Amino acid sequence: MIRPLWNTIRGRLLAYLLPPLVLLLAAGVYLDYKTGAAPVRDAYDHALASAAFAIALHAQSATQPAELARVAGGIDNLLHPGARARAYYVVRADGRVLAGEADLPIATVGETNPVFFDARFRGEAVRVVTYSPPGRQPLTVSVAETTAERDRATLRLLVSEVLTDIVQLLATVVLVWIGVALALRPMLRLGDQIAMRSPRELSPLDAQAAPGEVRALVTELNRLFATLGDAARAQQHFLANAAHQMRTPLAGMLIQLDLLITEVGESRVRQDLVALRRSAQNLAHTADQLLTLARADPAVHLADEFAPLDCGRLIEDVVAQNLDRALLKGIDLGAQIEPVRIDCVGWLIREVLTNLVDNAIRYVPVGGHVTVRCGANGGRAYLEVEDDGAGIPPDQRQAVRQRFYRVPNTPGSGCGLGLAIADEVARLHGAELEIGDCDGVGTRVRLRFPEAIELRSADTA
Amino acid sequence: MRVLIVEDDEVIASTMSRGLRLHGYVVEHVPSAEAASAALLNEQFDLAIVDLGLPQEDGTSLVRRIRRTNRTLPVVVVTARDSIADRVDTLDLGADDYLVKPIALAELLARCRAHIRRARVVASSQVQIGSLGVDLEGRRVTVASESLDLTRREWLVLEYLAINAGRIVSKERLLDAISSAPQDLSLNSVEAVVSRLRAKLGEAARIRTIRGLGYRLDDEP
Repeated sequence: MIRPLWNTIRGRLLAYLLPPLVLLLAAGVYLDYKTGAAPVRDAYDHALASAAFAIALHAQSATQPAELARVAGGIDNLLHPGARARAYYVVRADGRVLAGEADLPIATVGETNPVFFDARFRGEAVRVVTYSPPGRQPLTVSVAETTAERDRATLRLLVSEVLTDIVQLLATVVLVWIGVALALRPMLRLGDQIAMRSPRELSPLDAQAAPGEVRALVTELNRLFATLGDAARAQQHFLANAAHQMRTPLAGMLIQLDLLITEVGESRVRQDLVALRRSAQNLAHTADQLLTLARADPAVHLADEFAPLDCGRLIEDVVAQNLDRALLKGIDLGAQIEPVRIDCVGWLIREVLTNLVDNAIRYVPVGGHVTVRCGANGGRAYLEVEDDGAGIPPDQRQAVRQRFYRVPNTPGSGCGLGLAIADEVARLHGAELEIGDCDGVGTRVRLRFPEAIELRSADTA
Repeated sequence: MRVLIVEDDEVIASTMSRGLRLHGYVVEHVPSAEAASAALLNEQFDLAIVDLGLPQEDGTSLVRRIRRTNRTLPVVVVTARDSIADRVDTLDLGADDYLVKPIALAELLARCRAHIRRARVVASSQVQIGSLGVDLEGRRVTVASESLDLTRREWLVLEYLAINAGRIVSKERLLDAISSAPQDLSLNSVEAVVSRLRAKLGEAARIRTIRGLGYRLDDEP
């Protein structure tokens, strides 16, 4: 999922930082321009004044206006050889124009000498200097140059300053980006740590290792974990007690009925007692299944109940326990074991497998086969029970997962919770419950676990 | 045969007692672990049936104590607790069996019979299943008191099956039993021995093939 940039801490930080940074940049450029432009102007003015001094010097020594014009006419070269700008001059003495452009503006020289000023001449902006050399002869020299050249110089200055400042700004943004990423790393690590945990893992996070800013959050999370853990434990405890409290009287009742049936001998009463015992057995079975279903709820399980279980051993055990019942019914109960272990709540998996084997024996006709298998497939462990009985029609395979659902016209007295329990237990283990058949024959119920703990050959011995 | 029942539920205890007495057992019932310890100290029993949820001292600690003082007394745990941790813990402590309530009387009787027989095998080196007699010490097999000639391998397989009568025994275990160098033999040789053994035993005993798991010598004739 891609979150919009503005909803990340980096994005927000940049959004807060960028406008002031840009304003600072603008102010910096303005100040730099202001302080950088004056020296440029002064340098150009200095050259302009030098030209005025040189012309004044010539005007004082030259006798012929023509000669003065020849010398002064070179000021273009004197100022900017081959430059884009043009230069003009005028020399006046006693109000008379000795040489140059008669209409060139001229300033009155007073306290300051030379005088610089901006003006327009022949439609162009010009910078003018007027100089009056001290001496007997009242002489005034005005030299002007078009501003194109000095404008270009200040522009170059401005451009270089703006570029430097933009580079600085970009560098700042990059540094902020990297800096924030580095600073956020402990928080991201914390996030990963929480994400990697199994949903049942409720042990507290290390609040001391968390950065100060999120310590409060971590503390609150730990408190929540603790509350959830307590609730799950309380619920487990309650259910375990409920199971115990219901089983004890039921056990008493069943064993009393067993005894009565053996003691009473062949009679009408015996038949009634057998029927009564069957009802009591059904009640015990349903109560047991209901409690198992409640106890399989993922919400009441904690990570510490999960432990590795050898599937082969479990199958041996469950088959051994159900063997006599299967033999009595003339059913061939067998196994196919490929050594594998799974991380699971052992008693629940045993319960499910017992249920599945029990169902198979119950519904497979005399002479049928029931096979319990385990193994690994593509790194995933599986446990399955396969039989060659009537099977579950494909359109019923989803419905049988529902609680209390029984396939219509099924013989026997099941309570319809076996596969619902299997489904719930599968959910708890992140496993899939697959209900299918074996090439169109019988039923195959398979629990596919998310992973497998392979057995090393030494473990199987 | 004397059986000690340690159970605090009066109804279950008295019914189990009556059921066992009906089948020829001599039964003593005590309601707590303390009383059980006293009874075990003063009398000899062939089997103990222990409930885990006892008042005061828990059944698991009683099982542990019984195992410390008496190595051979078979202990069957009958409990309303069903978690696998309980099951594993109790079996690790040395209980021989673990039954979750509610249980059928027939089941309890079958287990008691099997455990008492097994304990007696250990004590007397004799296995008797119906007309089949296996003398572990004398290495002799009799069918209806008639001596039966077996090859060495046949004897070793039958001996192993008889000691574990009623339990599933894997072919690998039997292979280990008949050969000191199992890698020289294949599982097929085990199958061959078992099939010869079946022919010799005839109706006297039943060695069942448990598909994918191995064999089981039925302990009920």
